[in-house]
Amino acid sequence: MLVLQNLSNALILACTYILMAAGLTMVYGVLKVLHIAHASVYTVGAFVGVLTFSWVGNFWIALTVAMLVSGVFGVLIYRSTYFYLLNSPRTVPLIASVGMFVMFTDLLQKPFLMGAYQRAFPAGGAGLPAIKTALFSFTAKQVLILIVTVILLAIVYLILTRTKLGLSWQAASMDREMASAVGINLNQSIAANFFLGSALAGAAGVLVGVYNNSVFATMGDLPSYKAFIIIVLGGMGSLPGAILASLILAIVENFLVASIGYVLPRDSIAFLVLILMLMFRPNGLLGRE
Amino acid sequence: MKSKLSFLLIALVILSLVLAGCAPQATPTAPAEQPAQTEAPQVTEAAAETEAPQPTEAPMETEAPAEEPAAPSGEPIKIGFFSPTTGFAAADGTSALQSAQLAVKIINERGGVLGRPLELVYYDDAAKPDQASAIARKLIEQDKVVAAISGSYSGATRAAAPIFQEAGIPMLSAYAIHPEITKTGNMIFRIGTLATTQGRVGAELVGKVMNLKKVAILTIDNDFGISLTDGFKQHAAEIGLEIVLEEKYPLGETEFRPIIGKIKASGAEVVYATGYYNEAANLVSQARDEGLEIPIIGQEGYDSPKFIELAGPAAEGVIITTDLNRDSERPMTRLFLEQYEATYGEKADMVGASAFDAVMVLAYAINTAGSTDPQAIVKAISELKNFEDVASGPFWYYTPEREVVRPISSQIVRDGAFHLYHEFTDEALVKP
Repeated sequence: MLVLQNLSNALILACTYILMAAGLTMVYGVLKVLHIAHASVYTVGAFVGVLTFSWVGNFWIALTVAMLVSGVFGVLIYRSTYFYLLNSPRTVPLIASVGMFVMFTDLLQKPFLMGAYQRAFPAGGAGLPAIKTALFSFTAKQVLILIVTVILLAIVYLILTRTKLGLSWQAASMDREMASAVGINLNQSIAANFFLGSALAGAAGVLVGVYNNSVFATMGDLPSYKAFIIIVLGGMGSLPGAILASLILAIVENFLVASIGYVLPRDSIAFLVLILMLMFRPNGLLGRE
Repeated sequence: MKSKLSFLLIALVILSLVLAGCAPQATPTAPAEQPAQTEAPQVTEAAAETEAPQPTEAPMETEAPAEEPAAPSGEPIKIGFFSPTTGFAAADGTSALQSAQLAVKIINERGGVLGRPLELVYYDDAAKPDQASAIARKLIEQDKVVAAISGSYSGATRAAAPIFQEAGIPMLSAYAIHPEITKTGNMIFRIGTLATTQGRVGAELVGKVMNLKKVAILTIDNDFGISLTDGFKQHAAEIGLEIVLEEKYPLGETEFRPIIGKIKASGAEVVYATGYYNEAANLVSQARDEGLEIPIIGQEGYDSPKFIELAGPAAEGVIITTDLNRDSERPMTRLFLEQYEATYGEKADMVGASAFDAVMVLAYAINTAGSTDPQAIVKAISELKNFEDVASGPFWYYTPEREVVRPISSQIVRDGAFHLYHEFTDEALVKP
């Protein structure tokens, strides 16, 4: 009984991890950049979402606007920074990324942007019904998260496998130079990749904002490292790996807390899982050599 | 490529310098023009109404001038103030700062202190102990303040306290309620109610006022939560409460569902949960989502309009113990609540009330002492009796350990606002 309920809660938690990590792993796949500022995109998405929602009062419009804005924001980050650093050593874009994350978080805390206070995101379940059975239940909010995640993942899957764009990413992730040599417009392709990945992060921000009914400037702190654990765990650049890792992590966190309690803060459990994993499978669950 | 890279790095450095430069002082909003309709000056009579244990002498008042207070003149009296207006605690720190500024404004409108204007010297400590101790040194050596107020959390306040103690400068902790702070020495006073005392009142509320027996305790894993829980458990044992579950969670937790399942299974009749308003809002709304309908008892960490806003309908019926009674008719409480909302466009909270009171107590002490001599200020605070000029309820007196003794109220959320639920005036219970 309690086990099933915990599993269903873990599934929802995993959904919020998946959207965040999916975008990050896509970016890593093509650029091989550890994009910490991805967590700022997530915060910006949530912020735009809550603003739009308070403006128009419709969750779906808010979600769409937030995804568009965070997509554009992601592309801007790429064009203004990573674009110039593509051929420098790996640590350079990493440091730039950390710097941007800190800068954006501080900026967002300014009173003329998000300010110090948390904002409520009272979208509820956006009109979706709650599901209640004898064994487990999903609240309307949880149904919403599940549905949005499944739809977005389906779209990403289709883009990756059925479009030229998706193929160009796959080519670029194998060998950037070769890909551009065979006529792929690398810049456009990378920008599109950033757009989609960032839009997913924005969606994650909106969903988490609705789920916890709160949006605030420092909400990206936790995802900034947790999303990393997930993509390393899943195998860098592997989308199915990120999904699998999100599920495992969410289930481990939920069950450890539910059965033994907080032996450790739940977020350090993620690191523990990561360390154990790296000892036995250094390339991650679905990573390739 | 090289030149572009270096250009970019330089641009980043410049940008970060600009940001850092304007960071600390950016937050305080300029107080809006406010017609000086101070209805405060009749505070003296109000003191008589409280059933304080020693109603021996009427409070020595801050000579409230009847009409047209003389404008303060001369060299300003500087008091230090630090609070986190950036970082995770920025909401509380901003509220504390704004309230302290409001108090200074009111005092100066009423003629200042010793006829001189009061001046707040403010720094942002980001709730970090290392920053707080650096600020303490700066306030003492560079700004030469006569006294200081910590508008920060326990960690930062504990770091600053020994520095003020050593320098012989009085420091008042506004709402940091860890026991160690006042144990630093004779210069350090507390405005808020000691955590263990408030925990004790929480147990009394559950066992005596609500007549419930089986409690699940959920503690935020820091100084604040642990000291509250200690007080609760100690009194729970005395009055025979049964603790069926006890859990700790880390600061900033947002996912309480696994714990809520455990509480449901434990057979508890009531939850005593420590935490700040954001954790509390998540806890309460998730509990109601998951069908956990038993009462949830909180404490002053919940005491913010933000809690009700974030938790929404789930906040209804939540009961907390706190220092601020929003239904109080006491003139200073009304003045604070109304002026805060008028000046800053948002509702005041407990943290703000405590910072406001800290300034009021300090101004009273300097006035009573008749000088800015640290020892005289300390003496005036320790001898304070039935002090009414505060937002968060009368200060009956200070114990020799520099803890305040006064009634503690509990508030219930009804129709989206905090309302008085019960007031604890039993001296044996509320005395630390």
